[in-house]
Amino acid sequence: MLLILGGFYCVMGIMPLFFSNTPYIMNILIMILIWAVVASCWDVIMGFAGIFSFGQVAFYVIGAYASAILSVSLGIPPVFAIIMAGVITGALGVIVGLPCLKLAGPYVALVTFAVHMTLIPFLRGPLGRAIGSGGAQGILTIPPINFFGVAFSSAHLVPFFYLTFFVTIICTLILALIIKSYWGTAFLALKDSENFATSLGISAFKYKLLVFAITSFITGLFGALYAHYVGMLSTKMLSMDVFTILMIMMVIGGIGKYPGVVVGAVITVTVNQLLAPMGMYRPLIMGALVVILVLFLRDGVVGLVQKFSPLQRKLG
Amino acid sequence: MIFEIIDVIISGLINGSVYALMAVGLTLVYGVTKAFNFAYGSFYNMGGYFAWMLLIPLGLIGGYFSVFFVAIPVFFVVGFLLEKVLVSPLRKYDDWEMKVMMLTLGLSLFMDFGYQAVFGPRIKSLPGMIEGTIELGQVVLFNQDIVIFILSVGGMICFGWLLTNTRTGMAVQAVAQNPAGAKIVGIPKDFVFAATFAISTIMVGLGGILLCQKNFIDPMGSTNIMIKAWVITAFGGMGSISGSLYAAFILGMLEAFVGWHFGMIYVQIATLTLLLVTLAVRPQGLMGRE
Repeated sequence: MLLILGGFYCVMGIMPLFFSNTPYIMNILIMILIWAVVASCWDVIMGFAGIFSFGQVAFYVIGAYASAILSVSLGIPPVFAIIMAGVITGALGVIVGLPCLKLAGPYVALVTFAVHMTLIPFLRGPLGRAIGSGGAQGILTIPPINFFGVAFSSAHLVPFFYLTFFVTIICTLILALIIKSYWGTAFLALKDSENFATSLGISAFKYKLLVFAITSFITGLFGALYAHYVGMLSTKMLSMDVFTILMIMMVIGGIGKYPGVVVGAVITVTVNQLLAPMGMYRPLIMGALVVILVLFLRDGVVGLVQKFSPLQRKLG
Repeated sequence: MIFEIIDVIISGLINGSVYALMAVGLTLVYGVTKAFNFAYGSFYNMGGYFAWMLLIPLGLIGGYFSVFFVAIPVFFVVGFLLEKVLVSPLRKYDDWEMKVMMLTLGLSLFMDFGYQAVFGPRIKSLPGMIEGTIELGQVVLFNQDIVIFILSVGGMICFGWLLTNTRTGMAVQAVAQNPAGAKIVGIPKDFVFAATFAISTIMVGLGGILLCQKNFIDPMGSTNIMIKAWVITAFGGMGSISGSLYAAFILGMLEAFVGWHFGMIYVQIATLTLLLVTLAVRPQGLMGRE
């Protein structure tokens, strides 16, 4: 698993050498980095921990808005704002996670999805405006990240790429460690038979709450990075369309087949960009894709590889 | 003041009756097949658009009578085929619950943007079933509202009768109580699953036809309806039909009062707060079993 991830990120790391002059491709590369981690977090929480969390986009948006509000309204430098946004999102993840852990599967999906749905009227309404979300218009002037005299923003794609790359590597390592360590095994045991795992002394509560905290922290961090990258935010990020894109990554990669979701992110972000000229037919196609992929691509690309390759053990 | 409150109560009752029709369909399909349908709101819009298409461009003779006459078999076939083609192939996998959620979410996006592509992004309005008002002192009742209330309550009573008095209804109950046992005594489980899904499609489609006359057909409004139906189902207790009946009226009233007193933007926040409080205090819902 680490081999595939390492290879993938090495290739990603040298990509700017070839494409540094084409902003279109650089933008796709940056979005791939961001979405790959966000989707990985979702895979860890859904595929490994077995929690039907549908609040991943909500946490992403919370992180983005938190960092934007901190840096615009309070004037905190973006670097600290991003880290604080991660902490805020992590804390909210724990708050959402606490009631969820007592509930059965579909209820968790409902609660987390409800958080997603509440965010839209909250951010657009007077309550959101009071904390500086900008209402229906959104936040338009988010300052770019700037430290040691180097600006990282959409105007300076290569530095921003490497900043994102650096954070991506750290977060991917953390996620991979979680999966490979005792934790990952504990999750699999809990998913397969919760009663048996608990009888062996694995605390479902502790591990599931921790995974909520860590994945929402990382998701919030990347949401914040995204906010400072594009420089503006609106509640459009919460539309079902974004949610579906994230879901396609999961389905292509295979749920609970960890490195697969990274491949899913590469394919999905690229396809989504290529479909952009289709206008309102793009979400239509994405929706149809989800239906078709769920029906016919059972375990994602990893499943396909395992099916046709004798090397299946190495891919783990 | 007092008449305003009466108006609010009436509006809550009418919305609640239609919500009840939709939520009973949803709780039935969850109770029997354990499939979590995220495309429920899109079926609601399907009802609205179906009626609009028959009435405005096609100019069907007979108005709403013929619409209902055509809609019920069409929705049944649509729901039945969707279950057979999309949901039942997933049932053989271990993690099919998650897959069904994802699939229906994708289906919902597909349907919503499909409506936009076919009918345009602007909201549409359906003509009312019946004109005129009844005045009781200062309280004015729209005939249309009364008809909506009667039809949705009548629909539910009719459905309840079918469930307890016909062989198919009893088969549905048997599968809900014990799928394996039902299979042993020779009940065709797959057929019952598909039929239940189809019946829920009919109920939400009819809800769409009824409620879209009062509100508008909004191609992007389906997520709201879906969340509402799910909140009612969870609040009433998943799989409990009487629970979702009470929950629907409670939610209808809550919505009407919050919308009247605080403004429409708080309606959704209130709805979802109700859900969170319910699940924190009483996770099995009002009438749900443990």
